[in-house]
Amino acid sequence: MDPPLINESSFSAANPSAYSLAEIWPFPINPGSDPTAVTGGGLGLRIGNLGGFGETSGLRDGSMEDSTVTEQSVGCGGGRKRKELSSEDESSKIVSTTTSANELNDSNGKRMKTPVSKNGNTGSKEAEVEASSADGSKPDKNSKPAEPPKQDYIHVRARRGQATDSHSLAERARRERISERMKILQDLVPGCNKVIGKALVLDEIINYIQSLQQQVEFLSMKLEAVNSRINVNPSFEGFHSKDLGLQPIDGAGMIFGSQTAREYAQGLHPEWLQMHVGGNFERAT
Amino acid sequence: MDSQHLNPSSLKSRFTARFLRALIKINAQKPISSSSPRDIFQRYQRIKVAADKSMAYSVRSRRTWSRATLWKLRSRSRRRLASSGRRSSIKTRTTTTTTTTTTSTNHRAAIVEKTSHEKENKEDHVGLAVQAEELRELVPGGESMDLCNLLDETAHYIKCLTTQVQVMKKIANLYSLE
Repeated sequence: MDPPLINESSFSAANPSAYSLAEIWPFPINPGSDPTAVTGGGLGLRIGNLGGFGETSGLRDGSMEDSTVTEQSVGCGGGRKRKELSSEDESSKIVSTTTSANELNDSNGKRMKTPVSKNGNTGSKEAEVEASSADGSKPDKNSKPAEPPKQDYIHVRARRGQATDSHSLAERARRERISERMKILQDLVPGCNKVIGKALVLDEIINYIQSLQQQVEFLSMKLEAVNSRINVNPSFEGFHSKDLGLQPIDGAGMIFGSQTAREYAQGLHPEWLQMHVGGNFERAT
Repeated sequence: MDSQHLNPSSLKSRFTARFLRALIKINAQKPISSSSPRDIFQRYQRIKVAADKSMAYSVRSRRTWSRATLWKLRSRSRRRLASSGRRSSIKTRTTTTTTTTTTSTNHRAAIVEKTSHEKENKEDHVGLAVQAEELRELVPGGESMDLCNLLDETAHYIKCLTTQVQVMKKIANLYSLE
């Protein structure tokens, strides 16, 4: 962060007419440099600044706000600035360099997590940019190369850290998806929210599934015993009264709440009837 | 809320309907003549299969695990038809159930070996290779899934298992109270 700022100030010192610009610029940079607050503060401040220049065109602003990526807006802002100031012959060069420096600055801010040695790189890049602009090349020429970097910036922003290749990008996306699903699973498995660590959570999940499967086995055993008994002496009337009486008790202990209990009660009556009919029929045969 | 628990096409009511029908069928097919352990075990197996099957059917083929379950059950019944005696089928079934439930400790050692050979890359990044492998064993059809899908399927499977357990518990309670 520091080298660009120094550069700007030195530049503006060289050309007093642009000094105010150089002074204004660091303010939008600072919120922009914070990776978390890139979109909000940076954009707003920048637009505000440009509005202060009195050259904001409605169309441009719209397009800028539409673009969700701040870096693009930075590029646009730079281009607009250049155009705006291209009328002033003297300060045009300097302003263009400051804007380009800002762009680099932003990229720098995004790479904050990367080793600090990159700062030196950007400093040298700035120097190059300055040199090229100081050559007397038109600001238009500068604004053209500003277009392709936009694409780069988008990618850089998506990375936002150490990752440089598509593999680690995909890996990160995958990890995010996994942790998302882990959260869902944690909500499903009782008592799993307190467990910390994916491995432990998975252990918990595995245990839970095993216990559920064992429960199913146990219940089918129980049903086997009970089912045969039902066939021996089915009593119909007792069923319905107990059926209704049972619901609230069981519903309380249910994960799905009372909703299922009621659904069960209502959905089951035809089934019970069917059952009794079936049982009756079977006994008759 | 109201529309939901009145919904006859909800998973729970579908499962209940299917399972009860299956129970009736089982009772109708096998009049309770004997109380020999073998017959009891057979009936138990049939009820368990019926529970699994009706669960998988009520999920239909929307999920990988239900498809896998149905496929497994179908191939098993085919096998049973192919093999003349019933005993062999029971044997295979018991072995499968025991392997899934009991041998988790042995399993870990085996998994570690396996992962070091084959599946080293993906889950190791997250550090979940062993658990993922174990989970694959538990969730039907999980052998061929990557971790993301596996977790997805696991979530759904857990939901369905809890439903299954609830319904079965309730039916058992109602019967045994009678």
